[in-house]
Amino acid sequence: MTAPFRFYQSAPTLIAEQDQFEKDVKEFTAGNIHPVKFKGIRVAHGVYEQRQEHTYMIRIRCAAGGITPQQLKKVAELGDKYGGGEVHFTTRQEVQVHEVLIQDVLKVIRGLNEVGLSSRGGGGNTIRNILTSPLSGVEKGEAFDVDPYAIALTTRMIHEADSWNLPRKFKISLSNSAEDTGYTQVTCLGFVAKINDKGEQGFEVYTAGGMGAKPMVGRQLYDFIPENKVYQVTKAMKIMFDKNGNRRSKYSNRIKFLWKKLDRDEFVRLFEEEYNKIKDDSSLDLVLPDLKNEAKADISISPETVTGEAFELWKKRYVEAQKQDGLVAIKLPLRLGDIYKEDADVLCDVLAEFGENVIRCDRAQNMRLRNIPEAYIGNIYNAIQKMKMHLSDIPAFIGNMINCTGASTCKLGICLPRGLSDAIKDRLVESKLNLDNIPEFKLNMSGCPNTCGMHHVADLGFFGKIGRKEGEMYPAYNVLAGATVGAGITKYAVRQGDIASHHVPDFVHDFLENYIEEREDYDNYHAYLEDGGIDLIKSLCEKYKQVPLLEEDPGFYKDHGARRRMRLDDMGTAECSAGMFDMINVDKRFIDSFSKALEEGNEEENLFKILFHSSRMLLVTRGLDSKTETQAFELFGKHFVQTALVDERYGDVVTLGKLGVKAELPKHKDLILELAGDIQALYKKMDDSLRFNVAPKEASTAEAASEVKKKDYRGVACPMNFVKTKIELEPMGSGQKLEILLDDGEPINNVPNSVKLEGHKVLEKEQNKEGYWRVLIEKK
Amino acid sequence: MTLNDQQVERYSRHILLQDVGLSGQEKILNAKVLIVGTGGLGAPAALYLAAAGVGTLGIIDGDKVDMSNLQRQVIHFTPDLDKAKVQSAKEKIALINPDVKVNAIEDLFLAHNAMDILKDYDFVIDGTDNFPAKFLINDACVMAKKPFSHGGVLRFDGQTMTHVPGEACYRCIFDDLPPSNAVPSCSQAGILGAIAGMLGTIQAAEALKFIIGKGDLLTNRLQMFDALKMKFREVKFKKRATCKVCGENPVITELKDYEQPVCDIRQK
Repeated sequence: MTAPFRFYQSAPTLIAEQDQFEKDVKEFTAGNIHPVKFKGIRVAHGVYEQRQEHTYMIRIRCAAGGITPQQLKKVAELGDKYGGGEVHFTTRQEVQVHEVLIQDVLKVIRGLNEVGLSSRGGGGNTIRNILTSPLSGVEKGEAFDVDPYAIALTTRMIHEADSWNLPRKFKISLSNSAEDTGYTQVTCLGFVAKINDKGEQGFEVYTAGGMGAKPMVGRQLYDFIPENKVYQVTKAMKIMFDKNGNRRSKYSNRIKFLWKKLDRDEFVRLFEEEYNKIKDDSSLDLVLPDLKNEAKADISISPETVTGEAFELWKKRYVEAQKQDGLVAIKLPLRLGDIYKEDADVLCDVLAEFGENVIRCDRAQNMRLRNIPEAYIGNIYNAIQKMKMHLSDIPAFIGNMINCTGASTCKLGICLPRGLSDAIKDRLVESKLNLDNIPEFKLNMSGCPNTCGMHHVADLGFFGKIGRKEGEMYPAYNVLAGATVGAGITKYAVRQGDIASHHVPDFVHDFLENYIEEREDYDNYHAYLEDGGIDLIKSLCEKYKQVPLLEEDPGFYKDHGARRRMRLDDMGTAECSAGMFDMINVDKRFIDSFSKALEEGNEEENLFKILFHSSRMLLVTRGLDSKTETQAFELFGKHFVQTALVDERYGDVVTLGKLGVKAELPKHKDLILELAGDIQALYKKMDDSLRFNVAPKEASTAEAASEVKKKDYRGVACPMNFVKTKIELEPMGSGQKLEILLDDGEPINNVPNSVKLEGHKVLEKEQNKEGYWRVLIEKK
Repeated sequence: MTLNDQQVERYSRHILLQDVGLSGQEKILNAKVLIVGTGGLGAPAALYLAAAGVGTLGIIDGDKVDMSNLQRQVIHFTPDLDKAKVQSAKEKIALINPDVKVNAIEDLFLAHNAMDILKDYDFVIDGTDNFPAKFLINDACVMAKKPFSHGGVLRFDGQTMTHVPGEACYRCIFDDLPPSNAVPSCSQAGILGAIAGMLGTIQAAEALKFIIGKGDLLTNRLQMFDALKMKFREVKFKKRATCKVCGENPVITELKDYEQPVCDIRQK
């Protein structure tokens, strides 16, 4: 029996990682792992916490947006059994299971193993799902099929350990033509298929694109690279990003920020430094899978014939001929990107008859079916008609609307675009506007400034904001318009105004009514916008400016589909890249709280905790992870004390900590508190690349407090002799003594007086036979 | 001790000061200051703060260096013409003091990016040339609880004040934007270059005082000077309960970009 077809192969370490994750989940449930640390662990397994506490969403990788009918069926089964019921198709061509409780998370993940799917790297600072044009391989007029590259690249990347701990997420996409339906210019690294003058296949390469709150259109890195260099470019970019990315701030460390920080020349130079090392190594070339877009040889069911107006209309809306003769691709629009188990079963059972390479997810949260022989179009139609929830009977415009999940599940959400999407759908369907005239219109909505709903690349886009009237919050949206997508010409939509959430359906209706009526007069949508469309948007924002007072219409202050009034107190921080700095802060807070507790007594226990958290706090910056207290002390001793990142005199208390001799600790109270202070100071000094910038230690740091410190400043001119004296005095404790040697003349006439002016005492001043002076100072 | 020998020497004149000392210099080295605008005010402020060793300097400006800038914007040199101002400034800062990390943002400071840009900084210097930006900086700093130094110059006159959270803000004294064209811009009215230098360095001094926590800041008072007569005058004012942004019932609760023609220089 041959192995079943897979869109990617999971890494062999996956099971071991899941075993570890299972242990971590148990430890977390038992209260032994802090939620923040657990977050860092789980997001890397594609497990995100939802707005409801202890409820999780699991994101499943689909390379090139591909999933087999058997796989989809399994995901639906798991979603039904352990989740909220639906399989959600995302705007990043992957699927998610929602509302999974903590005790079921591993059951879902293990269940996915059975069909070769994985949630590893669904979130976190990793190589994210690799995207392609949804019709790659079947589209007429494409340069060539890019799916095999995405698939091979996915497998290669998820096998490499360094893909899992990047400075920030790393998104890759590929387009099958310059139309750029893979959106390569809005992603970290993008490849656009092209054929050069010599007829060779290759890619135009873009980098440093990205949407989000600080959007940037990708820049061209290469006009053409040979088709076999995709891996080398990706690998070099990954290494370069890993070395130079800003790990300290999770808000400004995507590749686009690195480009901004470095400027083009430096960015390219650093990239090519890595690329040139591996560019010509053909052993690294991707081994492309033999991905066939063809009719399955032995179809066991018979064709079903359907006739009638409804069927013909559906065909017109959703069925298109592939470049392969006799085969068709079918778009299956899903309501809000969701499909439930019953529907998935009906659909997948039929689809399985046509092979395994038959489904793609697209970025509009819809399914794309492919490789269906023309004779069997009726079978697919009948299957869809048996589904309980789909949008195939209404114009494609509706299904093409994109919305993120918003505040219903996402911790960042402000508004509820799912509710809005339904409200717009209802308003438009009822309106009788001829939406079939604008099937490809992009109406995209995000619940917050992050761009999960792709509002930056919309024809008409919205992103959530808080409106306020008389101090009361109501849901509202910013309005954007006029994006362009295409290799080298991508431009983001521009904000035009804002509008209350409850006015959006009417706003959309009024705008589309005008556009549908006038579009014939214009070459394209942009021309329409320029010649009045933008003005119309602005005047509609004005027209719908009225917001009723809370007393007049409380419903207005509740978002579409919301159960209660808008509130932000349950909003959280981004789930995606928790990790290091959050963990450091946890230890920092513990140090503070145990330091406070120390004032109340219980010295042994509190000092031990301070010592422990001080030791553990910065381990993570060295890539070290301690499972136990003992291990934390051990690692700290090895990587911080022995390397002189902190003073060697702390070595003994760290050993006491390791041995767990708590009774001895009160004797070393000051030293432990000093260590806590030093660790926090060290953290402050750390730069974005996690270097501590510590000056080399001087030899005599371990001097006891009672000893007199001696410094020789003979030959040091004024005022540097005083500067150096000040620097020596500053860290000393009150009453400690410093002895300095000074030259005769200006130095002895000035330095002691200056020292006194600062409030210190000059205890002795005596001239030596050779003429220089010895001055003994007591710190104030 | 973190300062190496070169740093000790470089900052020795700071360390000598009793109110700065080693700990003050360490604070400066760890400080993060955002300078909005690298023009007449931002240029001298940036030069002095860089020389002082401020660890991180954020500079934001969307303009390119223009011939008419060179008469006062002393961080830009003649060969920098047409270069992005932030790039030009970044290069000079690196030459003055390699200790300083520069975040150069080639963009305008606007409502949509203000909070995000501010959040990483300890102190903000308003070096802008127009009222919409000045009010936006005030509102953003009040909301983000960030201290900032306001500064404005025209012809031979200058004015400056410092806001720290809890004390009077720019709106407490200047309620709202003046009507369009009520106040001429630099490009219409002119400016003696050195005036910008006087004011920008006052702002830099305020930032440094705030960082080391010493002295009296220009809070609750507006310092004005007429350099033609070389007279300084101080006007005291208080936090106003009816202030639109920091008062008891603020009506400004979110940032917006005020529309008013900006300095003509920018529109060129």
